[in-house]
Amino acid sequence: MALPESLRMSITPPELELISSQQLLEIVPLISMERTAFISGAYGPLRPPNKAIVPIWMAVNLKSKKKCHIVAPAWLNVDFLQDRLNYETSKPGFSDLPFRFMEISKVLLDVASDDLEDPDKLRSLLKDLREARQAKSRDGLKRLDHSELSLPNLSSMEINEIRPFFVQSMHMLTQLVREPSAA
Amino acid sequence: MDWDEEYDLLAAGGAAERSFVERARNALPDDDDLDMPHGPPRPAAVPFQLQQPAEEETPLQQLMRHWTNERNCPDILPAQEELLVNILDHIRRQSQTVQLLREDASTSEDEHVRIMLAQTEMERVKFIVRSYIRTRHYKIDRYARFITTNAEVQTRLTAGERDHASRYANILDRHLYKCVLQSLPPAQAHLDDTAAFVPSMITQPDKTRPVFAHARQDCPPIRLPDGTALEMQKGHISLVPYHTVEQFVVRGEVELV
Repeated sequence: MALPESLRMSITPPELELISSQQLLEIVPLISMERTAFISGAYGPLRPPNKAIVPIWMAVNLKSKKKCHIVAPAWLNVDFLQDRLNYETSKPGFSDLPFRFMEISKVLLDVASDDLEDPDKLRSLLKDLREARQAKSRDGLKRLDHSELSLPNLSSMEINEIRPFFVQSMHMLTQLVREPSAA
Repeated sequence: MDWDEEYDLLAAGGAAERSFVERARNALPDDDDLDMPHGPPRPAAVPFQLQQPAEEETPLQQLMRHWTNERNCPDILPAQEELLVNILDHIRRQSQTVQLLREDASTSEDEHVRIMLAQTEMERVKFIVRSYIRTRHYKIDRYARFITTNAEVQTRLTAGERDHASRYANILDRHLYKCVLQSLPPAQAHLDDTAAFVPSMITQPDKTRPVFAHARQDCPPIRLPDGTALEMQKGHISLVPYHTVEQFVVRGEVELV
């Protein structure tokens, strides 16, 4: 059919990665390139060793050909993530992280771990963050009712993860509440 | 020119030319020359925003937003015909440029990097366009009978999509009639009975299905099913039944994530 079964309920993680890769990022190019018009806008000029701003997909593409170094975003470092992790483990709410931090950090750690400081520590911090937040979002299921559930600071990948179960549960609650008045 | 035609042209390698007048009518205010937001995208003072909302959305960002909305929305959203024509037009121009550069033997090594990047981007954009159209088609197939009986939904479709919906509903009806219905007693041979306590035979979009709504700007209060009101501030994310935020999604104040 027009849309395969697996894509009907939700957007898939690779698609979220595709969306995230449109965000802009700083790189240090190793090749020069004139300012070029792309469909999403004009980028460049690349003039080593000056920094330039390009979309993540372009940075990843250049990086995998060893034509640039990636400058880590301001939030992708040990200090910042440790700070957020402390918040996650001491406070009940979700800490404030970029909406697509999971996708972006995954892409950058995959292709550009040599441009990041202490990638192993970053990986373990991100994993701890994920687990702490996951526990909280599961806990949020208790507060689910038929009308609304606020999820401040939840990131896109986490929403996608809880989507099938939360949507189904809330839908079921809606039906349970609606029946008496309809009959 | 409707989407399918546009798309066929694209599939054929973008070689076909449209008349100048038509191109001019649909052309963007030539955004090839437009500067993209440059300078640091996230100023140091406010390092984290959920998105990068400060600048005007580019056509591609708009398409991506409509695509994710469409994917997460139980109903069919208004068609973005003009936007899509713009983007397809842009892809075609880009692929012509690339083609010319590739054929030129004097193209330097540096140029190859540019060509490669341009091609990568075209594939990315094509994927989104394709997925967007397929998502709509899936919903149209699914709700075909409902679409043919409901004038309001039809206003949200393009001419090509309306045509497809009615043809599809027709074929399906004929098929069901030939396979089963013709051998049933006439009283039971309808496809649109509305018996009490049984869901309607015509599948309709279920607007009570919950969606994750993300406010792109401050929104006026919405009324929730339990009677309370919710005022969504910019950046707020909520799981709410779709019908409560329907108007906001159509107006672009809320996106579905």
